[in-house]
Amino acid sequence: MDRLLPDLDSLYYQSDGMVMGLLMEAIADEVATGIDRRMKDIADMKKLLLKGSHTHNADAAIGSDPLSLSLKDVNQLHDDLTRHLIELQIKVEQDGSREASELNKDIWLYLETTAGRHLISVMG
Amino acid sequence: MTLTIDEVAKKTAAFLEDKWECKIDVTNIEKIFGGASRETFFLDVEVDGKPRGLILRRDPATSLIDTERELEYGAYVAIYPTDIPVPEPLLLENDPDILERPFSIMAAVKGAISDVAGLDPDQKKRIGREKWQLLGRLAAKNPIELGFDSFMEVPELDQCASRELAYWERVIMEDQIHPQPIALAAVRWLKSNLPPPAKKLCVVHGDYRSGNLLFDPGEGIKAVLDWEMCHLGDPLEDLAWSMDPLWSWDDPEKAGLLLPHREALRIWEEHSGLLVDLDAFRWWRVFASLKALAIWISSAEDFQNGESKDTILALAGWVMSSRQNRILLDYLSPHAAGELNGVLA
Repeated sequence: MDRLLPDLDSLYYQSDGMVMGLLMEAIADEVATGIDRRMKDIADMKKLLLKGSHTHNADAAIGSDPLSLSLKDVNQLHDDLTRHLIELQIKVEQDGSREASELNKDIWLYLETTAGRHLISVMG
Repeated sequence: MTLTIDEVAKKTAAFLEDKWECKIDVTNIEKIFGGASRETFFLDVEVDGKPRGLILRRDPATSLIDTERELEYGAYVAIYPTDIPVPEPLLLENDPDILERPFSIMAAVKGAISDVAGLDPDQKKRIGREKWQLLGRLAAKNPIELGFDSFMEVPELDQCASRELAYWERVIMEDQIHPQPIALAAVRWLKSNLPPPAKKLCVVHGDYRSGNLLFDPGEGIKAVLDWEMCHLGDPLEDLAWSMDPLWSWDDPEKAGLLLPHREALRIWEEHSGLLVDLDAFRWWRVFASLKALAIWISSAEDFQNGESKDTILALAGWVMSSRQNRILLDYLSPHAAGELNGVLA
């Protein structure tokens, strides 16, 4: 940081600059692949919601596509599907059947997959 | 209007002159990075010509943690006379007109650091032992004898867990920008698996981690800082928080990057006089990660809605949330390998 910004003699601003650097790297990663990762989430969530459609009705969301590939529109559908997925998981947790338990495991697998997919690499 | 750092120095000097009725010169002022809940400044001052170091903690426009400064200051006052080292609390000022926001002033702890990453292995062991000794000693104290009941709510032993869970669930529900399936699954698990009543009521620091300790690598811990989330509750709460995998990112085998988890537990048991119920402790570990996630979610909301553009809020809200979700998955998912779950493996 001293070499990049030699005039920063305050430790506060050096630290602030370092955090900004990390954030810029994370943002660059989001710009490059963020929409693609969300679209993969959307496809995965639709499959799960379809599988659980006898337990929770999310037909309208399953049949939807983002209005555009802008972050705002993709996030809107992603959020809508995530809310349905949360409701589905609550229902399968309450249902003691083996089928529900298997679906719950699938939901957890998705949660693991999406957490890995969105892992922010700049911090390891 | 936002005060410049020079204006903060001038107004603080005038304030101190009025309070202490003597000549005050601020010879140096520095803002300290990472003051997530309060803006923190270090000041070198001359009090009637004698040098003294002070710490000024000013309420921010927004923060990671929405806390009451009076509770925090009260905790410093109550703990200062004990064998738990904390900076000497000097002044609390609730009038927002003096520095635009309320603030407190404490004596600075000079010549101490808070970054454990640079310590050698022996120093890490030494600081680690002392860290969990101090936490054990804090757990052993009677908060009523220390006067905490005069300014803090005293929960029933069987309400400690559910009360904290309800508070942080509310933070998540109010502050989430996007739906949080992992956090909500954790909330449901915690509600379904509430631990037995606390074995005793204790002072919970609320953010006991290596970064909130000031120490001299050769001499040991000089001060425990940042009591803004202090409350009364179950002693296992601080223990679990102190061992959250987030604090040992680069070295998951070591709690807080300092000691193996089981050694930290043993030291804490020895100094608290309490035995850790591992089932209850598992609950508090999941809770600790959920609470941390709630704080990161809240900071993201503050950053996004423009209340603050402090980079630490964005870092916490984005990067820390990502990591904390992974930790909760490691605790709760049937597919998890448990690699972050050191003490419970």
